[in-house]
Amino acid sequence: MSSSDVRRGARPSVMPKRSSSGWSLLGSEISVLFRRRRTCAMLAAVALIPILLAVAVRLSSEALAPGEGPPFLDRVTQNGLFVGFTAMVVAIPLFLPLTIGVVAGDTIAGEAGLGTLRYLLVAPAGRVRLLLVKYAGAALFCLVATLTLTVSGAIIGAVLFPVGPVTLLSGDTISVSESLARSLLVASYVTVSLLGLSMIGLFISTLTDVPVGAMAATIVVSVVAQILDVIPQLSWLHPWLFSHYWLGFADLLRQPLDLGSFGQNAILQLCYLAIFGALAYSRFVTKDILS
Amino acid sequence: MSRKSLKWLPAVVVPAVVVAAVIAVPLAAGAAVDLPDKTAEQVLLLVNDSTVSTFSGTVAQSTDLGLPSLDLGAGMSGAMPKGTSDSGAGMSSADAVSTAIELLSGSHEFRVYVGGESQSRVQIKDRMAERDVVHNGSDVWLYDSSTNAATHLSIPADLLATAQSKAAELDSKLPADLSTPAQVAERFLENLDPSTTVSVGTDTRVAGRSVYQLVLTPKTTDTLVASVSIAVDSETGLPLQVTVEAQGQNAPALMVGFTAIDFAAPNADLFDFVPPATAAVTEQALPTRPDGADSATDSHPGDHSPAAVDSPVVTGTGWSSIVEVPATAVPAELGDNPMLEQLTETVAGGRALTTSLLTVFLAADGRVFAGAVPLAQLQAAAE
Repeated sequence: MSSSDVRRGARPSVMPKRSSSGWSLLGSEISVLFRRRRTCAMLAAVALIPILLAVAVRLSSEALAPGEGPPFLDRVTQNGLFVGFTAMVVAIPLFLPLTIGVVAGDTIAGEAGLGTLRYLLVAPAGRVRLLLVKYAGAALFCLVATLTLTVSGAIIGAVLFPVGPVTLLSGDTISVSESLARSLLVASYVTVSLLGLSMIGLFISTLTDVPVGAMAATIVVSVVAQILDVIPQLSWLHPWLFSHYWLGFADLLRQPLDLGSFGQNAILQLCYLAIFGALAYSRFVTKDILS
Repeated sequence: MSRKSLKWLPAVVVPAVVVAAVIAVPLAAGAAVDLPDKTAEQVLLLVNDSTVSTFSGTVAQSTDLGLPSLDLGAGMSGAMPKGTSDSGAGMSSADAVSTAIELLSGSHEFRVYVGGESQSRVQIKDRMAERDVVHNGSDVWLYDSSTNAATHLSIPADLLATAQSKAAELDSKLPADLSTPAQVAERFLENLDPSTTVSVGTDTRVAGRSVYQLVLTPKTTDTLVASVSIAVDSETGLPLQVTVEAQGQNAPALMVGFTAIDFAAPNADLFDFVPPATAAVTEQALPTRPDGADSATDSHPGDHSPAAVDSPVVTGTGWSSIVEVPATAVPAELGDNPMLEQLTETVAGGRALTTSLLTVFLAADGRVFAGAVPLAQLQAAAE
């Protein structure tokens, strides 16, 4: 109840002007999304992943043998900048999709569940704009979540461990500033990787008025895709799964820089955007909005 | 009602367009290529005249040898990191066998950089890891990112010089009728003729370049090899792909080829390998005898003295030839390798490793037979 009041309170000036400007709707959507306690809690949890990793490694007296544990974990003690990479590998299969599922699943179904959806749709042609705004909010969350992970990893790594030139997978060494640039590149790669799942979440969210159902379904879709990705009998399907290139950011840590998988991943995610965007559009514009 | 169904149109059209594009784009890339016709000899000449000395590219390799449980082996090596047992101790021969089997199974992607005759770099792309081999002049570096271990080999200059002078000596000893590449190609085809049909297959595309396909088909039916085709770049004459087909199998047994290639010289920095400060570096002496390669680092030396090694015997000719390695020349560790035990099965007279392309027969008396022939022939040869 109280949260729905807060939501209405957050948009008072927007409602009358919405037909003239979609930007103010976008602004209010973003401010509502990022001021929500749930979003802040998820971002804090994302930031905690590298912190937990780094603290655990720092407190442990036992040195890891090379190749033991998650990738790069054995390098962390020598160079704090590896914390962010390890955290990304750890977070991408489950935790990041989980947060995306919560945000994207909530987009339409959340408004419908609270009964605020019909107020948002007073204006004609408002539905397409609302979908776009909701998707933009979810996509922005992907970017903010991965950047949070990267930045908190870099900070905790620099605080707890020595920082120096970074050794790439190829054995070549790059400077600290170049490694920070590569970290940002990895963050953008992961952001792009999650865009397809966000659109799937948006589509599922248009199917139901129960936000929890949409969130759970989105998370289930991401888990199922990753399970399919390890079944060898389905190898023909693997390149078409939206999760197939999720760990492909290793290519950004090779020398010379290999942007091939970045491009392939982007094209794949675009295909998912197109398909599920069209499905979400058709479903949403034909939907009977009762609440 | 009709307005409503119209709004469902995008949900049908967009997925259909995406699926059509997904199907059509690879089809367009593999569209028929029509190059000027060439005979097998002309294609061989094209390869011989190739002047490509620098390039960089991506190579994909896939194998379908019908081997069981190789993924299991790969998973095992992942679960038990090599670093715990022998970090920095260099490659033991058991390790080398495992690596060879691992590389021959499944599919891998490589990046290859060649900057002239004495500079090259190969990167094996693993999941979240990479293995590098860097050759620059007299230095060879091996680096494995999963264990963060580097191995350095230096090739003595005099060895290079002897190799070069020997090659020159061989050149001068060649019969006079082999002085031109055309004659070499002719002689090569003549030598192949009794055992192999050489033809030029349909032109196609590899790594976005039009290629001639040189197809070698064994004349005998005693071999497991159905055909070997070599894709030769129509412009530069560089072989871009090798495909080996096995008898009675639809998928190629072995396929190695470029998926992308660029003939510009790679950045010279790539070949100046400096091992990371944190890496465990092993200096490995160059083996003095070809068969004693591992004795310097081996944990159990003296299993066999190199002097006592008998050289392998080849019986049969052409595609159906069989290599016999005498028991004294077989490293004792071979029998202990757990991976090998998994791969082989017990057959009459010993153990056998059967793949769609190659059969290895480990006779009970220690001799090893190998060949691209069915197992029965190896067993017959062992008797």
